Amino acid sequence: MPPLHELQRAFAAAMMEGKGLTVTTSMRTGPARRSLALYRRLIRNNYVQTLKITYPVLRRLIGGHYFNVFARGYLKRYPSTSGDLFAYGQHFPLFLLQLESPRVLIELARLEWACHELHQVADSPLPSQEWIQTLATVDPSAVTFRLNPTVRLLRCVLPVHRVWYALQPEADGNGIDGLSLSPEEGGLLVTRGRGKIHVRSLSPNQWWLLQAVRDRKTVAVVECMAREFMPDLDLAQFLTGLSDPVMGPVFSLEIHP
Amino acid sequence: MTLHCPAPIPARAGIGLRSYHFREIMESPPPVAWMETHPENYFGEGGTALRTLERIRVDYPLSFHGVGLSLGSTDSIDSTHLRKLKEVFDRFQPTFVSEHLSWSSVDGRFLNDLLPLPYTEESLNLVCAKIDETQTELQRSMLIENVTQYLTWPDSTIPEAEFMAEVVRRTGCGILLDLNNVYVNAVNFHLDPVRFLNAIPSEAVQEIHLAGFDRVGRWLVDTHGQAVYPEVWSLYEWALHHFGPRPTLIEWDTNLPPLAELVEQASQADAMLGACYATPA
Repeated sequence: MPPLHELQRAFAAAMMEGKGLTVTTSMRTGPARRSLALYRRLIRNNYVQTLKITYPVLRRLIGGHYFNVFARGYLKRYPSTSGDLFAYGQHFPLFLLQLESPRVLIELARLEWACHELHQVADSPLPSQEWIQTLATVDPSAVTFRLNPTVRLLRCVLPVHRVWYALQPEADGNGIDGLSLSPEEGGLLVTRGRGKIHVRSLSPNQWWLLQAVRDRKTVAVVECMAREFMPDLDLAQFLTGLSDPVMGPVFSLEIHP
Repeated sequence: MTLHCPAPIPARAGIGLRSYHFREIMESPPPVAWMETHPENYFGEGGTALRTLERIRVDYPLSFHGVGLSLGSTDSIDSTHLRKLKEVFDRFQPTFVSEHLSWSSVDGRFLNDLLPLPYTEESLNLVCAKIDETQTELQRSMLIENVTQYLTWPDSTIPEAEFMAEVVRRTGCGILLDLNNVYVNAVNFHLDPVRFLNAIPSEAVQEIHLAGFDRVGRWLVDTHGQAVYPEVWSLYEWALHHFGPRPTLIEWDTNLPPLAELVEQASQADAMLGACYATPA
């Protein structure tokens, strides 16, 4: 009997690279080969199932057959490195990019990965009224924005959020027909509010402001940016809209002494 | 919210907790004695799953059944995974925590399946050391579950049940006895399930799993995607009279049925547990 480590290494190679298990002579028989084939199938199905759960809209868009082809290719290039499968699909958008897949698939995958991540991040509590009242008395140059953990900003060329909404499980999928996917400037705001994921498109100006929020600029700086470059934007209304408890609060504020 | 007192799990039937049933369970708590779930599903820092489990934990004792520790691997234990397990256990205070007598990783590469070990002295020493390390880190004892096998390592030198008994003796861990796995292995390899069960130390068995399997070619495969088969119910009846009543889980992870069907399976197990109480061994 070979040492356990050698045996496990050979078994893993047999699973992932399709090699026979030659480390032990008695495993070269027909029944043993059938056993290995079954394990290979079960292991592969586990990963495909994990990716199906992480990328349900992408799968619905391209169909199960093509999705499985992509998933099997991904498994070969990006083997799992953790006993926890939550992060297994994190490189799938990159994998699609490496394959030079259509941009809509890559951007949709990025959106779905952001949605997947948001399911497990720390909650973002709404600020209390007392705290907001305190804030009004503080110098705006001493207050910085902070993007909440339940938020992702995605730079997308295509409005893939329309595909995402049209192919949700409760949608009949017909809305995908005739959907306009012309390139748009701006980006997407993905939030978790009350346990659900919400996706909103951002105009270029809104995107720029939220970049400043993400970069932890002060309230004074953001106000100045809005005044100078977006005179038509009602900043207070925009920020209030980003504090909607249903959609999930987008930012919090930190007071610096 | 941190709960400090693990509630005892009675020798009655419980069900596996899956997010698919969250809403139904919250709206109409099912009449089952306890629930079991995978701790890896609660490694996050927030979100619906954690909040739901916090609420369910108020009404039901919990058992946590890990799938990612790879106790039989020659790799060292993933300390990050172990730390996350401890955080989840500290937070939810489950009555039982369990893992599998299997391996799933080598050289840092994971296969994320419950792969069989050769039952040798080398494997025994390795597994016992890993269980010792895990129990020390978690500051509690754990249960070890027998797994299904679709191959047997020809050079194994110790029968599986004796291997488990020795693991229990050396580490003080308990056994989570999966009767579906015992049955599936018995059919696939023409083994006698009763002989296996007779070699398991009775006092170590603290929980039983029941599940369904699928037929794939010549194999029975432990898919957890069907109702419990009559042959497994028969083995359960035998096991109850042999070991006595034990907390019993209806394990159903794929092709999930309506909650009512899961509860009905649990009722069937409860009826057999009741009959076992009425008829002392």
